[in-house]
Amino acid sequence: MSHESHETHHVNYLGVFFVLCICTALSVAFDLLHFPAPVTIVLVLAVACAKAMCVMMFFMHLKFEGNWKFVLLAPTTILAIGLPLALFPDIGRSYYTNVAPQVTTWKDEVEAYNKSHHGEEHPEPTETPAGEKQGG
Amino acid sequence: MSHSPKAPALRMGIPIPNSKLGMWLFLGTEIMFFTAFIGSYIVLRLGSPGWPTDSKDTHINVLFGGVNTFVLIVSSYFVVVAHEAMAQKKYAKARSYLGLTLLLAFVFLGIKALEYKGKIDHDILPGRIPETATQAIAKADRQLEAIVRSRFSEYSAVGVVNANPGDILGLSTEIAGLPKANKPKDIDAGTFKLFQDRAPVDAKLYSEWLNLHQHVVANVSLSVPAVPADYLTARASLKEGEKFPELGIAEVQDYINKLKTNEQFGADVSKGVFELHPIVYGNIFASTYFLMTGFHAIHVIVGMILFAVVLMQKNLDGTWTDFVENSGLYWHFVDLVWIFLFPLLYIVKW
Repeated sequence: MSHESHETHHVNYLGVFFVLCICTALSVAFDLLHFPAPVTIVLVLAVACAKAMCVMMFFMHLKFEGNWKFVLLAPTTILAIGLPLALFPDIGRSYYTNVAPQVTTWKDEVEAYNKSHHGEEHPEPTETPAGEKQGG
Repeated sequence: MSHSPKAPALRMGIPIPNSKLGMWLFLGTEIMFFTAFIGSYIVLRLGSPGWPTDSKDTHINVLFGGVNTFVLIVSSYFVVVAHEAMAQKKYAKARSYLGLTLLLAFVFLGIKALEYKGKIDHDILPGRIPETATQAIAKADRQLEAIVRSRFSEYSAVGVVNANPGDILGLSTEIAGLPKANKPKDIDAGTFKLFQDRAPVDAKLYSEWLNLHQHVVANVSLSVPAVPADYLTARASLKEGEKFPELGIAEVQDYINKLKTNEQFGADVSKGVFELHPIVYGNIFASTYFLMTGFHAIHVIVGMILFAVVLMQKNLDGTWTDFVENSGLYWHFVDLVWIFLFPLLYIVKW
């Protein structure tokens, strides 16, 4: 049994390692290139998936394992995906956005802060925007 | 009853060692464990418009994350080479590569510690981040009060004042009168003189904090006097419908900055009061960041223990091959998790 599990598969581990390094460099490059956000997200997650596939297929030897890998990992994967899918309609789509205090009560405060922080000078105390409410 | 010598042995189950099957089953649970965190993070982030992504807010350093990704990839490579060496009975080589893997795990944790320190230094911690201007002002007020209480506690510790250590008003009255007070019998003259000399400084700091605190409670601009009697006088002059200007974050920041320049207590204020910097959704960002990277770091430590167990064996032989393979599978999984954490935490901005 032990012998079967230690069969040599002649994988070019160094080659896989270099592919992973290149992929990591690509991820950092995508961050530095300042593409539109959706493009960057798609690119870096695609690179992450490619890296994950390399690690699983070659370093974890799943490419050379029998069909048991599907039996073992398919239910896990389905259950793992289930949680985000279950949360998404309630949290990801609406997350009480319309009534969140950050959006309603404190919106003016945050805008006033951003305005004073990114403006030329801090506003004089007497010129504090009326939106700066207490009570948060 | 004799079996044919060429008949294949009947075997049931999956053709892998039980330990490896156990490791894969464990990794199956680990996939669900981390997917719950990562999935929740994605979902929460999608539902939070204005999630902090600016490195000035989050103190996320892409370079640190990138280097750590590289470190884990190199360590993954070393582990797989170590396992290959074990299979080829080159145990010394396997030991060397496992040693290098352990070293890289230390490097990973060292960089992670630097990242954590950057966040702790700026108070980017769950539950401690002001999300609005009001919360930032209130936090500055609390932090200044903590400095006053800390400095007052030194008087209580040596016994030059009698008020209850928690009674900040009583302490402030006693400290303000300390320069003219008589020395208690059980305090030596040098110590008493020392506290008499610094009493006016601490009384001044207290009055500065009290001034701010009264404005914070009343939500009135610092341009309006805070003494209650003056409020009444000032209020009497207001026309109908008029009200005092409200307290603004910029003027509080200026007020704190001025205190920081004070020669006597400025250093304490600089150390103890952070810049007033509201970060919308900062707390949930910090919670998810520390949850995911924290649990990942714990997994790194567990992996280090596994490698250390192998490295501690005086005679590494073939009986450890399965152990090294399973430890390697675990380590690759740790790498796999980081492969997704790196883009999601360090790069993706939306």
